[in-house]
Amino acid sequence: MNQNAFDEKILEEAWTWLEAKQSVVLATVIETWGSSPRPVGSRMIINQNGDFSGSVSGGCVESAVISECIELLNNQQTHKKLEFKVSNESAWGVGLACGGEIAVYLEKIH
Amino acid sequence: MQPIILKEVLRLKKEKKEFSIITDINNAANYIYSPQHPLPTILEPYAAAIKTAAVKRTNGMIAETSLFIDNYHLPIKVFIVGAVHIAQYFCDFARHLNFETIIIDPRGYFTSKQRFPETKVINKWPGEAFLELPLHANDALIALTHDPKIDDPALSHALTQQCFYIGALGSKKSHASRCQRLQALGFTGAALNSIHGPIGIKLGGRAAPEIALSIIAQLVTEVYKR
Repeated sequence: MNQNAFDEKILEEAWTWLEAKQSVVLATVIETWGSSPRPVGSRMIINQNGDFSGSVSGGCVESAVISECIELLNNQQTHKKLEFKVSNESAWGVGLACGGEIAVYLEKIH
Repeated sequence: MQPIILKEVLRLKKEKKEFSIITDINNAANYIYSPQHPLPTILEPYAAAIKTAAVKRTNGMIAETSLFIDNYHLPIKVFIVGAVHIAQYFCDFARHLNFETIIIDPRGYFTSKQRFPETKVINKWPGEAFLELPLHANDALIALTHDPKIDDPALSHALTQQCFYIGALGSKKSHASRCQRLQALGFTGAALNSIHGPIGIKLGGRAAPEIALSIIAQLVTEVYKR
């Protein structure tokens, strides 16, 4: 028990978004390998406009997560698992500069 | 996640219950697991691994399954003796760092709702307030009044309890006289050494928010030392 209950109140915020009749996707870091910016359990919520709260990395992969979430809201799927690795392909591409790898799980709240 | 599950999660959090959310990532099914929420039949084959992860508070995938577990436990409680200016900033920082704060101060003019809009304030003498408040291993106590008749009874109480952090505001000189007073009450050197005094890490600042920052920085350090 060497930790505080670190809870960023993202689920509370998700509820207020639902009450405001927004479509919400919950993104959760479910696995990490190597040096990853956010621990397992870190959460982010995204709505149909691309507004988001919380984080799943230090800003490295958020843009990709947001576009995947918007795509999820526009199709019939309920969930999706995304994996991000070290990016070498393009300096402007999405990837984790820290050299870590993360898996992010997306699920619609509906 | 179904809104009905999210609603139940928020209710449990509000009622300060400990629980876990289990998500089957293959089909996005969510289950709440707690003493009041037994595992459904479908998860029984994995009961042992789920229980271990819940007890150890390990968030992550349960090995060789498609189950992800996320554990919610209660935040560390910080009892603040003295509804002083530093305490106002401390409560502000504590909110972002997810410590729960409870203030004790017998002086009514310090404990107004307007000064502490979001913190539970007990307007009693520590001796009286702590009669109903045992401290646990997940609790911390910080004495900020530097008035012996308020701080000393609170520190005396904390020293007999299980709390993981005790701190007291004051200079080296006033801390030395505090230790002498507590020694006269029968506390040993080891007990007195467990008090962080002067409280806080060395930041160099003198302003109220700077002192609050130095105290909460020390508290965070101690949390991860445990």
